[in-house]
Amino acid sequence: MELAIQVENLSKLYSLGKVGTGSFRQDIKRWWVSQILKNEDPFFTVAKSNQQLSTDFIWALRDVSFDVKEGEVFGIIGRNGAGKSTLLKILSKVISPTEGIIRGRGRINSLLEIGTGFHDELSGRENIYLNGHFLGMTYHEIKRKFDEIVDFSGVERFIDTPVKRYSSGMYVRLAFAVAAHLEPDILIIDEVLAVGDAEFQKKCLGKMHEVSTKQGRTILFVSHNMQAISNLCNRAMFLNKGQVADIGPVEKVVNTYLSGIQKLKASHSWNSKDIAPGNEFIRIKSIELIPHLKNLTDPIDIRTPLTIKFQFWNLKNINLCVGLQVCAQSGECIFDVSSPAYDFSEGLIEGQCEIAGNFLNDGSYYISLIFVKDTSVELFNLEECLSIDVEDFRENINWYGKWPGYVRPKFPFELRQKVT
Amino acid sequence: MVGENRSDDSVKTWDWSIVPESSWFNWNGRELWAYRHLLLRLIRRDFLVHHQQTLLGPMWIVYQPVITLITYVFIFEKAVGLSTDGVPSYLFYFSGIIVWNLFSESFIGTAFTFTQNAQLFEKVYFPRMIIPFSVVTTHLIRFGIQLILFALLLAFFIFTKDFVVYPVRWLPALVTTLVLAPGLGMGLGLIFSLLTAKYRDLVNVIHLGVRLLMFATPVIYPLSIVSSDIQGIVLFNPLTPIFEFFRYAFLGNGMFSYLQLLYSLVSMIVLIVFGSMLFNKFGSKLQDVL
Repeated sequence: MELAIQVENLSKLYSLGKVGTGSFRQDIKRWWVSQILKNEDPFFTVAKSNQQLSTDFIWALRDVSFDVKEGEVFGIIGRNGAGKSTLLKILSKVISPTEGIIRGRGRINSLLEIGTGFHDELSGRENIYLNGHFLGMTYHEIKRKFDEIVDFSGVERFIDTPVKRYSSGMYVRLAFAVAAHLEPDILIIDEVLAVGDAEFQKKCLGKMHEVSTKQGRTILFVSHNMQAISNLCNRAMFLNKGQVADIGPVEKVVNTYLSGIQKLKASHSWNSKDIAPGNEFIRIKSIELIPHLKNLTDPIDIRTPLTIKFQFWNLKNINLCVGLQVCAQSGECIFDVSSPAYDFSEGLIEGQCEIAGNFLNDGSYYISLIFVKDTSVELFNLEECLSIDVEDFRENINWYGKWPGYVRPKFPFELRQKVT
Repeated sequence: MVGENRSDDSVKTWDWSIVPESSWFNWNGRELWAYRHLLLRLIRRDFLVHHQQTLLGPMWIVYQPVITLITYVFIFEKAVGLSTDGVPSYLFYFSGIIVWNLFSESFIGTAFTFTQNAQLFEKVYFPRMIIPFSVVTTHLIRFGIQLILFALLLAFFIFTKDFVVYPVRWLPALVTTLVLAPGLGMGLGLIFSLLTAKYRDLVNVIHLGVRLLMFATPVIYPLSIVSSDIQGIVLFNPLTPIFEFFRYAFLGNGMFSYLQLLYSLVSMIVLIVFGSMLFNKFGSKLQDVL
């Protein structure tokens, strides 16, 4: 099969501080001091003193090479900041690469967002044309598909109403409808699946599937959603810190990705009281997160029970209890559990807490340990000492959107047909 | 079979490529043409959006210069007593206002290409030059509408005040104005569009600069009353002959030479060529800074 896209040694360097000072006056001053007076660059020295010099440049992508064959659905996965968006932006010609070359065949369209160029004051009709043109559709193409687009979006009645009066659902549906009717040879999609209600998502996925299988188009698909990636893609690439960590059949790459991200801070230990975190009351000896998995390489998903084990030196004879706090990435505390309080004497104390499986929703979480005296006075807070990434798992569910909420408990839930 | 396919593959050329370098001369006419519908749609958008939810609707295109005209007549003629070269003051100021609007709006619109479309440029590719083109075309259309008003005003003076006109001069003056005023505005705007993208504090400078430039241009005064020691400044301004020629053609009074018009034309070409070279070369790199 022929290649649709060939990417060779693609690199992108971002300069963080040295682009300019952002103000004309300061740039002039800098130029005057460094070029005319031959003194040290005043802005450069500021950076040096803060030891920001090495972080002045960042390789968002480094020597990325891959091929995408015609008619293939190619997935791109990676953690936040792995360079996925940079890669997509370069492929979309929104930014230019620092090094390397991309070659391709056929018309390419990219959907970095849906509804690009929508204007609130304009009617749905006007916006279909405007958005279509921004995406590179011709007038006749849009005109020919206009009814189809309106049909797909389901906003017929409001097509001549300004979109600012639309509900957010209608807005998204209209925006996706235009995007879904693009007919490029190569389509680049950035996580547009995470929008809209379940029924609409099904429609979108169906459309994507149709585009790739029936029409034989090439699709590059970026997502955090491993389920969607596994279902839709043939091959995938795993980007890590701007470099290709793995590439190949989708199952293999998804597995590499999922097992790779577990190796985060799962345990800490300290050998001596002197270097251990703590204070005159408490010194931490060790803390460990143990997932209960059949295979050690399996990813932690929402079903996995977790045990948190810890040891600490108690330095005083006091009444003590320990609290365990689990926070979401946003910093919001999801829950806080506390151990019973006991009178302890000086020495090593060990404890553990279990978080049941089928409790946490998928996402990233931070765990803090809080040591409390007399069930009222906080002695020490070992903040965000552990982090976990909980992966999604779904069975018999045809919906791939982000499951809402921080917890996803499996409470008894019954549904039965009433016999009349 | 496989071998055959492979050799096919290497022989068949690629349709497109993305490389790090962007060229100075990146005039891809075919690409611009392919995006012509976007250009038209953007012009349409600007007109629709501008007049949605306004009290007076599309009439603003007309009211704005009329209100400015009345203000100028009261301040500069009645209060200050500035000469209008023997031409009826309404005609004199109105011609100045509409030609100045054409230039200044083209300039300001183009100069904010990157700052006002940053969100759009981040998400979708299209030839960036479409934006300046749509801005300039929008203002040419507005100028056209204002020109009709000017024609009505002129007709009023012809029929009631026996104002003498020279229709043979109209076409050359109109063509000159339609090319030079937006041309100079866009050329200068292209250069400033890159600067405003990088330096946000230039946004204020541009608004101030345009206001000051107006006083160095014969908009509210004729060139003939400028004293000879500072006439050099006004003559150095390539906008000057446009206004003088326009008034000479439509109102019968104006000081210009063909050499001055040529100077304007050359200035415009230099600005456009230089501006679009910079725009092509650095426009695509700007996205990292925005």
